[in-house]
Amino acid sequence: MPLLKGTLDVLVLKALSWTPMHAVEISSWIQDRSDQRVVVDDPAMLQALHRMEERKLIVAEWGVTRNGRRARYYRLAAAGKKHLAAESERFVDHFDALLAILNTRKA
Amino acid sequence: MPARFGLRPGVRRLFRLPTGHGPAREEIDDELEAVIQARADALVATGMAPAHARDAAMRALGVPLETLRAQLHKSVEDRARRMRARDYLADAAHDARYAVRGLLRTRGFTFVVLATLAIGIGATTAIFSAVDALLLRPLPFAQPDQLMQLDLVAPDVGRLTGSDAMPWSYPKFAEFRSRQGVFSGLAVHEDMQFAVTAPQVELIRGESVGASYLRTLGVKIAAGRDMDLSFDAHPEASHEVVLGYALWQSRYNGAPGVLGTTIDIDRAPYTIVGVAEAGFRGLSGKAEMFAPLTARRGAGLAGAHSYVFGVIARRKPRVTLAQAAAATATLGAQINREFVKAGRADSAWTARAVPLNALRVSPLVRRSALVLFGAVSLVLLIACANVANLLLGRATKRQREISVRLAIGADRGRLVRLLLTESVVLALAGGACGIVFAWLGTRALSAIDPSATLGRARGNGFGAISFDSIHLDWRALAFIAGVSLLIGILFGLVPAMSLRRMSLADALRGGSAERRGTRGVSLGGRRALVVAEVALSMVLLAGSGLMLRSLAKLLTTDYGFDGSHVLALRVTSFPAGAVTDNFQGFWAGVTRELRSLPGVTAVGLGSNGPLEGGSGTSTIKSLDGVAMDADRSPLVGVGEANADWFSALRVPLKQGRMFDARDVEAAPHVVLINETAARALFPGESPIGHQVAAAGGMDGSATIVGVVGDVRQFADSAAPPELFIPLSQFGHQQLEIFVRTKQQPASLAASVRETLRELDASAALTDMQTMDERTSAATARARFGALLIGLFAATALSLALIGVYGVMSLAIGARTREIGVRIALGADAGRVRRLVVGDAMSLVLVGGSIGLGSAVLSTRVLQSLLFDLSTTDPATYITIALLLLGTALAAAWIPARRASRIDPMQALRTD
Repeated sequence: MPLLKGTLDVLVLKALSWTPMHAVEISSWIQDRSDQRVVVDDPAMLQALHRMEERKLIVAEWGVTRNGRRARYYRLAAAGKKHLAAESERFVDHFDALLAILNTRKA
Repeated sequence: MPARFGLRPGVRRLFRLPTGHGPAREEIDDELEAVIQARADALVATGMAPAHARDAAMRALGVPLETLRAQLHKSVEDRARRMRARDYLADAAHDARYAVRGLLRTRGFTFVVLATLAIGIGATTAIFSAVDALLLRPLPFAQPDQLMQLDLVAPDVGRLTGSDAMPWSYPKFAEFRSRQGVFSGLAVHEDMQFAVTAPQVELIRGESVGASYLRTLGVKIAAGRDMDLSFDAHPEASHEVVLGYALWQSRYNGAPGVLGTTIDIDRAPYTIVGVAEAGFRGLSGKAEMFAPLTARRGAGLAGAHSYVFGVIARRKPRVTLAQAAAATATLGAQINREFVKAGRADSAWTARAVPLNALRVSPLVRRSALVLFGAVSLVLLIACANVANLLLGRATKRQREISVRLAIGADRGRLVRLLLTESVVLALAGGACGIVFAWLGTRALSAIDPSATLGRARGNGFGAISFDSIHLDWRALAFIAGVSLLIGILFGLVPAMSLRRMSLADALRGGSAERRGTRGVSLGGRRALVVAEVALSMVLLAGSGLMLRSLAKLLTTDYGFDGSHVLALRVTSFPAGAVTDNFQGFWAGVTRELRSLPGVTAVGLGSNGPLEGGSGTSTIKSLDGVAMDADRSPLVGVGEANADWFSALRVPLKQGRMFDARDVEAAPHVVLINETAARALFPGESPIGHQVAAAGGMDGSATIVGVVGDVRQFADSAAPPELFIPLSQFGHQQLEIFVRTKQQPASLAASVRETLRELDASAALTDMQTMDERTSAATARARFGALLIGLFAATALSLALIGVYGVMSLAIGARTREIGVRIALGADAGRVRRLVVGDAMSLVLVGGSIGLGSAVLSTRVLQSLLFDLSTTDPATYITIALLLLGTALAAAWIPARRASRIDPMQALRTD
């Protein structure tokens, strides 16, 4: 299922609000939560992460995975928390409104 | 938007933080590797063989690894670049705000700089607009580069100069047209006044033209159709007229219904067949209607030696200028030879073809415009020097602030940008103010009446390019923007450069340059600027001095007549019924009635008047019965006049007798000649009693009965040879009348008008003016040029003096301590004043000498604009040198007096 513009950023931030993760973990987290309906390919994920890193929404650190491999872990920055709060509210509002319209039945 | 989340750019700048925050290249590579590894690990966990797992993970990326890596690198770098650009703009905006705040703090400084720039830029732009309109803009015709003017070329004969821009005769033109092969279209044209009766007679300016005239020029027809081309071949074929757009609008409200109707031109009905496109007013620039030449002049076109027609031609697209010119010269020479009767000496006349664009204005106007542009550019240069001077002074004062900034680690590049921004903001603001001056200037320039100012009839140049086409347009505004920007950058760089040289330690110790005194680096630069300013203004002063002296000479020249108390007017008679050739009764009545007005002492009538810009285009047919080859005759003017013409204008009789009662129509024909003609035709003997016949107006030979004084046709050139035949022996429909009165001539205007209306209501009265007005109009170009250059020179001088004053004040400020010591050691006030004034004068002398040298070299370009004056006229140079020294002395005196009042104790105590 293709994502609406700007949606991926919010999903990534939501994932990271749980705990710091690396790129592949974030992808699986989103895939699991959406019952495999939202699949993000790795190139898109990396672009999004780098973009948000530049914008200081997330901070990157190198760490070690459970398998003992090196990985670049991302955690939420203060600005990222604010952005997530604002954006998720906006998204929820938006989809609420859409649903209200789409679920309207003939009386 | 990102600034909301990151640091404010200002903060980042302050702490000199790097702009990029994305991952570095190696980090991207490592992370990509880690992701692939993690995917491969996952595949192995599902049971895939480790050897295949990595390949499968790579394939799962969807794009080749290299491509993805490059993409990721590029995105990061692009974003970093965008951020830097945003920072750069934010910096620029910050600098601009800072500059404006700083400039508002120092209002006096800002005002002086803005005023200086506004005057300099405004004046330059106004003159640029004039140069653009008069010299640069393409002619308002289709493919104007193909258009050429064809002239006959008459070589010099004896002591009389010929002309390289002679009009054509119709037979020669017709022959040329039928035999040439380089032009796609050719047409004759002649300025005309059309007497339109509807029902009152009204004189309307127009052109009598060949039928292909509008087509040749590429003028479109706004309504109706162009003239029938067959007119050219069949004289008097039909009477058709094409209206000018303006006349169509003003007289007929642009009604299409007027097409096909007839109007009476010179009492003959003409059918209106079309309207020319808006804006086109003929090559004369004044034509309101166009009528076929063949219809108007009919049989009058036969004279092979009657040279009155201009010829315009359009080059065929494949023919070069050189080919067209060569073909015209060859064929022209051939035709001129053929029109000389057999047995006579070959004609030496030829013809030439000149690009119309080269003739758009007369050479004098071209030169005037370029000289003025040069002069105004010098003013702008001086203005710039002054501004640079002020900016340098400001930079010196701010050295402490700047050194503090440097000390706490400000980037020199950023500081240079800050200083540059300030001067650019200043220059752009100055340019914006300059638009006002430019607008005023172009309005004044466009109001110049070219016919009065330029002596329109003279030599080359045609009316299609006129001063009223001068206006501020996008080109002028682009010019302003370009000049302002250039000035801003150039003069921002001067203080910025001094910053580069500044040593930090020196600067912090306290205002280095100020302390280094008169020999300090920046003061040295400022002194050099003042020297340059003085030199430049000297050049301008010299130029304006020469123009003014030339003008003074021109105004005191004897034009050969006395115009005070003379009213001039032109009267055209339209007798009821058919046009007759006998107007004697009408003119006798006019003379009688005007003569009876109170205060009138003489009523002169003539076909021409002084300073009208007409020049001799007739030729002598025979002298004492010996025929003269028409093409070898000197060019003479032939005019009709009555005896009172000479007394009204006080033109003296030098020899022989005046016209008198004996010279009635039936009597033997007589003629008066002017002194130039006497010298040219009868060198060393008295012309009285000799017989002369001339083409144009004269009917057979006439006896010379007297010699009269020369009367100038142009204010700045000697009279041509002229012949006067008595009005009493020839009829004329239109004459110029000169009324000499004891009162103010202008006060006579109303009663003259009234008298003429009572006499004959159908007669048209035009061009009424006092002879003093005419004299002043004839010298208008010289006065206009002298006035403008004088104005520029005055501006330049005052700017230079401000420069001298400014730099001396600063020098004294820097030398306060030294002067204090001198006073303490016993130097008296006079000595101190001499010291300062001497210092200033050394600058002025150096600048003045350089300027004098440059002026002698550069004022050569003025030679053709000067009247009877050498460009190295010593009196002018001595006067302006004294003027410069005198005013500079005054400018230096004020700071000198201040220096002499320095309190030594105070001076020594200041740190």
